[in-house]
Amino acid sequence: MSVLNLNPQTIKQLKRFRSIKRGYWSAILLAVLLALCLVAELLVNSRALMVSYEGEWYFPTYAAMNPGTTFGLDYAYETNYRELRQTFEEEDEGNWVLMPPVPYNAFENDLRIGSYPPAPPSFEDQHYLGTDTTGRDIVARLVYGFRIAIAFSGLLLTFNYVAGIIIGCAMGYFGGAFDLLFQRVIEIWSNIPFLYVIMIVASVVVPSFLTLVIVMAALGWMQLTWNMRTSTYKEKGREYVSAAQALGAGNVRIIGSHILPNTIAVIVTFVPFSIASGITFLTALDYLGFGLPPPTPSWGELLSQGTNQLQAPWIVTSVVVAMVIVLLMVTYVGEAIREAFDPKQFTYYE
Amino acid sequence: MKLIKHFRMRDCRLCITLSIFVSILLMVGCGQVEEAIDAEEVGTSEIDDDLEVVELPPIAVAEGDGLPDQLPSDLEWLTNDSDPEFASVDAIQGGTFRTTMSTFPLTLRLVGPDSNGSFTGYLRYNNFGPVSFHPYTRRAIPAIATHWAFGSDGRSIYYRINPNARWSDGEPVTSDDFVFAVQFMRSEQIVAPWYNNYYTDRIRDVKAYDEYTYGVQGADAKPMDEMHYNYGFGPKPRHFHVMSNKWVEQYNWSPEPTTGPYHVGEVSKRKYIDLDRTENWWANEVRFYRNRFNPTRIRIKVIRDVNTAWQHFLKAELDTFGLVLPDFWHDKAQGEEFDNGYVRKFWLYNQLPQPSQGMYMNTNESMLSERDVRYGIAHALNFERVINTILRGDYERLPTFQLGFGDYDNTSISPRTYDLVKAAEYFERAGFIERDDTGILVRDGERLSFVVSYGQSHHTDRLVILKEEAKKAGLELELQLLDGSAAFKKQQEKKHQISWGGWASQGLSPRFWEHFHSDNAKRTQTNNITAWADPAMDELIMQFRGSSDLAERIELAHVLEQMVHDSGVMVPSFQVPYTREAAWRWVRVPKHIGTPTSGSIFNTQANSAGIFSSGGLLWIDAGIKEETLEAKRNGESFGAETIIQNDYRTKI
Repeated sequence: MSVLNLNPQTIKQLKRFRSIKRGYWSAILLAVLLALCLVAELLVNSRALMVSYEGEWYFPTYAAMNPGTTFGLDYAYETNYRELRQTFEEEDEGNWVLMPPVPYNAFENDLRIGSYPPAPPSFEDQHYLGTDTTGRDIVARLVYGFRIAIAFSGLLLTFNYVAGIIIGCAMGYFGGAFDLLFQRVIEIWSNIPFLYVIMIVASVVVPSFLTLVIVMAALGWMQLTWNMRTSTYKEKGREYVSAAQALGAGNVRIIGSHILPNTIAVIVTFVPFSIASGITFLTALDYLGFGLPPPTPSWGELLSQGTNQLQAPWIVTSVVVAMVIVLLMVTYVGEAIREAFDPKQFTYYE
Repeated sequence: MKLIKHFRMRDCRLCITLSIFVSILLMVGCGQVEEAIDAEEVGTSEIDDDLEVVELPPIAVAEGDGLPDQLPSDLEWLTNDSDPEFASVDAIQGGTFRTTMSTFPLTLRLVGPDSNGSFTGYLRYNNFGPVSFHPYTRRAIPAIATHWAFGSDGRSIYYRINPNARWSDGEPVTSDDFVFAVQFMRSEQIVAPWYNNYYTDRIRDVKAYDEYTYGVQGADAKPMDEMHYNYGFGPKPRHFHVMSNKWVEQYNWSPEPTTGPYHVGEVSKRKYIDLDRTENWWANEVRFYRNRFNPTRIRIKVIRDVNTAWQHFLKAELDTFGLVLPDFWHDKAQGEEFDNGYVRKFWLYNQLPQPSQGMYMNTNESMLSERDVRYGIAHALNFERVINTILRGDYERLPTFQLGFGDYDNTSISPRTYDLVKAAEYFERAGFIERDDTGILVRDGERLSFVVSYGQSHHTDRLVILKEEAKKAGLELELQLLDGSAAFKKQQEKKHQISWGGWASQGLSPRFWEHFHSDNAKRTQTNNITAWADPAMDELIMQFRGSSDLAERIELAHVLEQMVHDSGVMVPSFQVPYTREAAWRWVRVPKHIGTPTSGSIFNTQANSAGIFSSGGLLWIDAGIKEETLEAKRNGESFGAETIIQNDYRTKI
């Protein structure tokens, strides 16, 4: 701790956070999931981790595609490593293939003649949660869908918070006409129905990852401004601000170095909930068909498939369980943070 | 205090996060509910105040148009009493046939605002024209007219009305009703611009020569049967309509008398509509119409959701149910009703015009203007895999652009199939030899990658498989799902690279001008979405359009279809040359199940699809109904029955 040179207040807050077990473990689990997500290609992928062919080693995961001809096969398109593994095993010439635990990517259709997708969960085929309506592996869709949702959420959060903090602080600090003007702007802006905007955008262009983030940030930055405005307003009345002003500190310095650190609790407590809402937003949009273009892996798309295919319960079950778990964990973390940062912890009303 | 605050905070956050999802869904859901309630009754009493009755002007005829004042004496009167009848003599009259529609209609008018809903079909098929088309021979057969004759100018046609023909209110049908039809359709009061235009631009003159003889002049010369199809419009009852500035409101819920077998009976707003058999219908004993239209009542219930309707069907509250979708036919149509034969499954192959579905390549795009690239793409699309997997082998490959027009079909064309060797050959010829890191072919840094835009979200499954399979050929397809109208607009403006979709086909012969003539290649908002321009083809298309000789037209259609295939601008995808339905045992049909032009088996109306008089063949056997219900109560079995009729299946 001392290496990081944290102030005692923060250390106390961290300790407090650790003492809330539910939130603490959720945070660790989420962090692990996020870390695994970043290297999902090593865990869930149709490309082999390692191929040993005629004494040479290949690591296809992050490399350029290897045509089938590389391994003595008769086609020029990307090697099917699952088949290659089988071929090597049958030939038994010392060549081998090491596949990831889930040997499918999120896009390929594992279709077999004689059986029609969706296929139920099967350990034998290594479809641990079954396949969707076009024979794509559900684990792969879930994992890559999660990664996209989290990235989306994180990016959205950054945009929203940068705008929200700057504008909110300015409103609270300067007050007066600036505050009044922005209050009205925000009130008007908040009344734009976001779903219709998305629908209009989706009918004109295919919504890409970035356009979705931009549209949603453009309509979502107002949320934090109110809280930031209030906290700044409150802090501005404190003596230390007057002191800083008396010493001749500029507005930027006062806001940046004095007020902001004291309002950080407000910001931090909102973060987990913003992440959760980012994920639900994207899922909802994908569910309705206004989200990311197919065949992007997404939870919303899986959910809509699942609800239309109730005779294949593994689709809807997988995605609902995944969603509930992630959202619960995020909420637990949020709760714990809120409690840890609560300044009224030792205040009692009498 | 702290505890309370804690809870509030948590509740609040959880609520926000979880309710976002629900609220978005609700926002979308609400629209539909409100729309349904819009079918509010329009009272007629309060609009009488400023009602202005309008006298429709006589038929205006442009210069160069016009029928002769006297009926030409050299006319050769034709009829058709030789084609075979297709209804069953075993048919029993009586009973109520129960079926469903998904929404209550917004009006019972045939024209004007909101009149293009699905229920209008029932009204339209009961508004007989002078002739209809035989479901086997596809030739004209008498309907309201008994005879017809063609004028020497090549674009006029004369009809002799059956003197027995009556409106459902008992009034006779006369020539004047046909004249009125044109006046009516041209009038502003009906608020129907499309009809206004069609009856002015396409129908140039109409004249009554006596009570039962009238003539029509169209805009262009056409082969005989095409003349019937284009210019043989149905009558309108002059005695019924009082034209006024309030016509649209006044007639919103007043159904017009019909000339067909059924007229609107009881209407229960938002619940059901009854169609009652017209008593002593004038065509009861007329050839081609006897032994048809057997139920005395058709009750059409509003059931909004298809899965709910399915439950109604299983409870025997509906008599039949469509099973074209693979999941219904294979998965849902199971259980004791089927195993015990209370419900029978039918699969009827037909020969209706097939929608021209497939991939349309925009030849304005540099890479797609190369024939080798187009051929390569065609060989890189694995439709067979889509059919054999997610479509469960139920669909068939569409061999060519247009199919299902009888003799016009060029059956010698076979589609380009998935073949990596051929695809590689064509791509190599175009200069695509190397593959990049992702396995896609490249030529001087240019990747073999195209955007496929489409508007039907349920087609994503099919395209996803095509995309993955195309990768093997080194071809990348980027899928672009757009809102339906946006996808249409995009292709109409020729801004697409590859468009996935299809044109509905109808009528008696294939169409080439709108899809392949160079006049439509340069302009936007035309149906030539491949921007294909070929002078040789233009010439043949114009010859095809202008010709009124059937044999010549057929030959030209074959040549043109081959040219379309050779151009490679369109890769045909799927066809569904059949209908599948389930029916309770008491619903009976003739031994041949249906006709080659039956769009559905259990159709109660004159036309079951398009222009052919193929419907109304079923009947309800009250005896079998009682027997079946009794057996169902006692759990007795008749044995499962699935009837597949593939006499009309086109062999490829």
